[in-house]
Amino acid sequence: MKNGIEQVSQEKELIDLTHSQLLFWTGQKIDQVSPLYNMALTFEFSTAIDVAKFKEAFQLLVQKSDTLRIVFEEKDGIPFQKMLPSVSVNLDLLDLSDQADNDQVYDNWLNKSVLKIFDTKVQLYEAVLIKFSEQRYVFYLNQHHLITDAWAVSVLYNNLIKIYQQLIKGETVDQLLYPSFKDYVFFEKQNRLELESSPIKQYWADQLKQLPLPPRLYGFDQQSTTTRAQRISLDIGLERSEKLREIAMEKGIRSWTMHLSLFNIFSSLLFTYLYRISGQESLSIGTPAHNRPTQIFKNTAGVFIEVYPLLAQVSPEDSFLSLIKKVQIATNGLLKNAQPGASQPALSRSFNVVLNYINASFSEFENLPVKSEWVHTGHVDPRHHLRLQVYDFDASGTIQLHFDLNEDIFEAQTRALVPQHFLNLLDAFIENRETQILAPKVITNQEYQKFNSDFNQNFDDSNSAENIVRLFTQQAANFPNIDACSMQDQTLTYADLDAKSNQLAHYLKTSGISSGDRVAVYLERSFDLVIAILGVLKAGAAFIPIAANYPKERINYMLQDSAAKHLLTNKELSNSLDKITIDTTLLDENWNEIEANNSDELNLDIQGNDLAYIMYTSGSTGKPKGVMISNAAINNYIQFAKKEYVKVDHPVFPLFTMIGFDLTITSILVPLVSSGTIRIYKDAPSSTDLSILDVIKENKVDVLKLTPSHLELIKNMDLSKSMVSTMIVGGEAFKPNLAKSIYKAFNKNLNIYNEYGPTEASVGCVVYQLEENDFDRKNIPIGKPIPNTQVYILDQHLNPVPQGVTGELYLAGRSLANGYFNQENLTAERFIDLFSDTDRKMYRTGDFVRINKSGELEYLGRKDNQVKIGGIRIELGEIEVALAKINTIDTCTIIHQKSKLVNDHEGLDYCTNCGLPSNYPDSTFDEVGACNLCNSFESYQKKASKYFKTREDLKLEFDAVENKEQRPYDCMMLLSGGKDSSYALGQLGDMGLKVLAFTLDNGYISEQAKDNITRVTTALGVDHIFGETAAMNEIFVDSLKKFSNVCNGCFKVLYTLSTKIALEKNIPYIVTGLSRGQFFETRLTEELFWKEDVDIERIDDIILNARKAYHRVDDAVSKFLDVSMFEDDQVFEKVQFLDFYRYSDVSMDEMMHYLDNKLPWIRPTDTGRSTNCLINQVGIYVHKKERGFSNYAFPYSWDVRLGHKQRDAALDEINEELDEKEIFKIMDEIGYEREGEVVSAQESLIAYYTGEKQSTTSLKNLLSDSLPAFMIPTQFKHLNKLPLTTNGKVDVQALLNKTDTYQIETDTPYVAPSNQIEEMLCEMWSEVLSIPKAGIHYMFLDLGGTSLSAIRLTARINDAFELDIPVKDIFDYPTIAKLGKHIESIILSLLEESH
Amino acid sequence: MNEILIKYIQEHLLSSSDIELTSEDDLLGSGLVDSMGMVKLIAFIEQEFNLTVPPQDMVIENFMTISYIENYLEQRKQA
Repeated sequence: MKNGIEQVSQEKELIDLTHSQLLFWTGQKIDQVSPLYNMALTFEFSTAIDVAKFKEAFQLLVQKSDTLRIVFEEKDGIPFQKMLPSVSVNLDLLDLSDQADNDQVYDNWLNKSVLKIFDTKVQLYEAVLIKFSEQRYVFYLNQHHLITDAWAVSVLYNNLIKIYQQLIKGETVDQLLYPSFKDYVFFEKQNRLELESSPIKQYWADQLKQLPLPPRLYGFDQQSTTTRAQRISLDIGLERSEKLREIAMEKGIRSWTMHLSLFNIFSSLLFTYLYRISGQESLSIGTPAHNRPTQIFKNTAGVFIEVYPLLAQVSPEDSFLSLIKKVQIATNGLLKNAQPGASQPALSRSFNVVLNYINASFSEFENLPVKSEWVHTGHVDPRHHLRLQVYDFDASGTIQLHFDLNEDIFEAQTRALVPQHFLNLLDAFIENRETQILAPKVITNQEYQKFNSDFNQNFDDSNSAENIVRLFTQQAANFPNIDACSMQDQTLTYADLDAKSNQLAHYLKTSGISSGDRVAVYLERSFDLVIAILGVLKAGAAFIPIAANYPKERINYMLQDSAAKHLLTNKELSNSLDKITIDTTLLDENWNEIEANNSDELNLDIQGNDLAYIMYTSGSTGKPKGVMISNAAINNYIQFAKKEYVKVDHPVFPLFTMIGFDLTITSILVPLVSSGTIRIYKDAPSSTDLSILDVIKENKVDVLKLTPSHLELIKNMDLSKSMVSTMIVGGEAFKPNLAKSIYKAFNKNLNIYNEYGPTEASVGCVVYQLEENDFDRKNIPIGKPIPNTQVYILDQHLNPVPQGVTGELYLAGRSLANGYFNQENLTAERFIDLFSDTDRKMYRTGDFVRINKSGELEYLGRKDNQVKIGGIRIELGEIEVALAKINTIDTCTIIHQKSKLVNDHEGLDYCTNCGLPSNYPDSTFDEVGACNLCNSFESYQKKASKYFKTREDLKLEFDAVENKEQRPYDCMMLLSGGKDSSYALGQLGDMGLKVLAFTLDNGYISEQAKDNITRVTTALGVDHIFGETAAMNEIFVDSLKKFSNVCNGCFKVLYTLSTKIALEKNIPYIVTGLSRGQFFETRLTEELFWKEDVDIERIDDIILNARKAYHRVDDAVSKFLDVSMFEDDQVFEKVQFLDFYRYSDVSMDEMMHYLDNKLPWIRPTDTGRSTNCLINQVGIYVHKKERGFSNYAFPYSWDVRLGHKQRDAALDEINEELDEKEIFKIMDEIGYEREGEVVSAQESLIAYYTGEKQSTTSLKNLLSDSLPAFMIPTQFKHLNKLPLTTNGKVDVQALLNKTDTYQIETDTPYVAPSNQIEEMLCEMWSEVLSIPKAGIHYMFLDLGGTSLSAIRLTARINDAFELDIPVKDIFDYPTIAKLGKHIESIILSLLEESH
Repeated sequence: MNEILIKYIQEHLLSSSDIELTSEDDLLGSGLVDSMGMVKLIAFIEQEFNLTVPPQDMVIENFMTISYIENYLEQRKQA
């Protein structure tokens, strides 16, 4: 189809783009092959048209509207527009009237035409008249957003129709031009300048600070690479439309105008929808502001709209009405501050959803209504994951919704559901505005049914009537001589275990125990323990496991609370208890009595609903609560576990975890029903149980049930010879990185299961078997429910959430507990009716989960104060209650702290001279605190000074250039906008040089720095260009991966682009503004000055060769940019680099004085540091995380050393607080995968209290009376008062921030090491425990020592002293003094042996 | 105050200066002034009477007619 400009008259002036045009330009630049900014409309006329007149009318329209004469051109990378004075167009006619299936032909043509990529240099629209028949025409107008917006289309259309009708009537059409878009361009520019000093600028700056992260729609990740978007349209119908218009007039909803009221309604509905499909309360949607402030602009065709964020803080308590109130205020704020030119790119980073409420209207044609349609191109801006267009073009009374859904973000299935979900909310709104926004169902019945058929149809009744006793008895009958238990070199066969447990059952029965009674089992891991558990079950009673190391207060409570009728223990443990009123049997001392009983089966008829055990777990109200598990419930788990986990005939399971810990049930009961062996490992005397290490070392087991914390302890071992073939991981979240290390450590086929389940649902009820490629996932799923188990993912209103959305997990089915013993209220609260089925219950887990893309459940965290340490669940409330009971304590709170924070810089030393921090690799400090770099610099400083030259030398360089006159510029200056390069540019100007300034726009230059650049170059009258690359993000990611910073990537782009331009423009020199510090940092290494006689030419040569190599490396830059020019050595002669500061030694004061007085340079405040780049902090963050120190530590130390920076300023910048939220936002923008680098967290409990200050040791002692060791905080911090939030709750975040300041809370005074062994140990301790100074009498555990840190310490000690001490020595010799003596004695004895 | 507002609206916001305007005319419901116009009117009021109209005050109850506006300004003065 030929269409368009036939002749172009001469060029007119070049005009800047408006802010919004620039955004469209950039977006199109990034993706040049997608029609993402095309707007195609069709207007259908059911009447005859005079084609010749219509063509004439269109030609006149183009003549009268300068927007249709706009073309663009680029100069040095900067786009400009110009309005051609006259353009001759030939509107094409597509005559389909003689085609039989003209609708089909038309559709094909239309689908192709809307995808047209406009050549912005030639024409930005296409107009065609299509003839179907004499009485039916369609006018097609497709245009690029760079020239028009929706309103403009109606202006153009209405003008066109007016002209046409005048022509038809034979009236003269005036020659007057329509209002000019150029006027607006100038107006916008002027307005932008005026805004600089207006409160509007402040308003948007404030909004910028509050911008939330874009929500994860249906839980999907935020990355999108495609512009492809499917449009799904929904006509809400006349009835709903009219109802909405009525509601729009209601008090409280009505705003200035009907359209504004409707806009508020739709944006509130959109916020509700987003909240419901993402769970995010802080939301921002983009919305275009109409931006036509005057009557004239209203009649101007052109692109006026600017997109602004509309913010809302949604709360779960909101009703539709209360949300609308919030939105009204936000909209008013937007209306008031959306002024031409006020938008900025940074504002648009917060939203991935856009609401476009379009109220353009199209006039009738020949008194006949016109059917207009917006034809979707199938492409939208990839940053907009969801676009909702609300419009009513034809005033037909029905409102149409068009959802444009990015195809990377929404799967086809989900896309089809979006309009339905929205409509469900819209209908609920129409029904009642007072409805809570959480109340209406979002998902459809079909979705709910699909969920149930995918997850809740796993039934298996084959063994449902079994019980543990019978299953064990069968094994005993079949395999009497197989070992049921073994411990060290002792064994107990199935026959023996059966007989002994029968004797105990008979004994208990004689002692008055019968079905329904409860028997406490307080024993260490031993044969007796297994006998006791089986004996109790055989007696028809329920056992209550009590760990041997529980404090007596807790044991007493458990005995009382459960009303246990009998206690089974042994002599030693019973001594530790106060006098007990219940019957007690000592299995060691009283065994003769037990043995006297019959060893035959009791043959009781155990019912499914009879309790098998009561397991006590931490309770938030201060006391543990007893979970009642029935025989049927545990049988359901055991049956499943046997089928799934047992792959060999007589599996060996280790029993090495704490009794009374849900997870341990697997290791005891599963082998007993599988003719397997329980390999028992003794309890550890200390609170830290490292039995897992014995299990691994002994290497006798094949199925291992354990927690991720256990895995952390063994992940670095060589486990390739391990017998373990199956691992069941449970108790806490299992991270992909850990799984990866484990696979690596085993280096063989291994079945690993991730098992999820609260105690209330019998050990495990949702399971996932890992696959090799799971390490690349962000999360290891927990999978699907085991047989006879149902799961529901619900929101606060018990509504099922849509797939992908996070909700609370509810469990139902056979594994469910009968409730909490003696706690009916708590039971009723946690075990609620299974929807309308009041006979069945579901358990509210308090765990957040969602369904991932592969259709598995994914665990995402807790909704309350429950934490897990080492897999054991702990209610922080229980610890708080225990702590508050201590008389001297007024108030307290417990914080669960995970990994070390990036913002943690306590305990660092800094060079007293240059400020180099002690975390810089291999840094050492002398007695006056000066670093090794400063000291060695002293030795070559003098020699290094020869490298530097003078201003005179610089002038000579420029004077010596050949063909100076024929060159447009003397040099190109790389201008970052910072002080160094701005000063240098000023100086070059003062030298009378013709300079072209060049800035790399990496997309994150701060606004203020840009302003500086504009001001400085304008003031100096210097030509300036920005360079950019569409691949900047890829280059950032590559740089982060390779160098853990962003600067390397950026510098390389800068050098590459600038060299290319200099080459093209025949510019002989590129001048850098690198500081002298940067010279030493990057090239002038100490080694260069080792030779006595320093040869500067040789150094220059070395540097040049390094530069050649640098540009010839394969990396992201060479992949995405043209680097062919570097292949030829000549380029390094044609374009040479000069470092300005090699020729100029200027003090900081001089520089600042010059900048203050000679240049309009203002120190930027919006980056928070002295660089001009907002993405810098991402590099610093990654560098700190991955390399443990700031990438600025080294360069800044040079700046300080050379006197170009103050030491304090450098320290402030190195230690600045990094804003994780902002950093993650940028990481998402550039496509950097942040999950991959999450390091496994070291966890600890920290207590904060007010009242009388006490030592950690005494508080720990006091707490150990009532709390088990794993619940006792590792640190206790005294505060004068606890920080509170505005709601009066303890401000947890403030406390988490406080944990940065690590204080050693110990009564022990610091004593320095006295010999070499102690010195070495002190160093290792402070390194492993991250403490500044380790005194030799400090207790390992007081310093926050854990089993993991013990392992790390042991490794270091064994390495340093060439020993092989076991990890437990760290606990047995808990101070440096003791450990030192111990090591000394080992070394001495080894020496003696060798003599 | 009345005259200042009427004059401003007539000169800047109405499509034709022939339209008569009284204190009781519904500026919004009758479509005399659109949302953009109201924003301009508010900007004018802020400048003219040296106050700031916060977004939560931008409701029809304060701005529907010129007499509503006068009431609102009166309240603001007293506050």
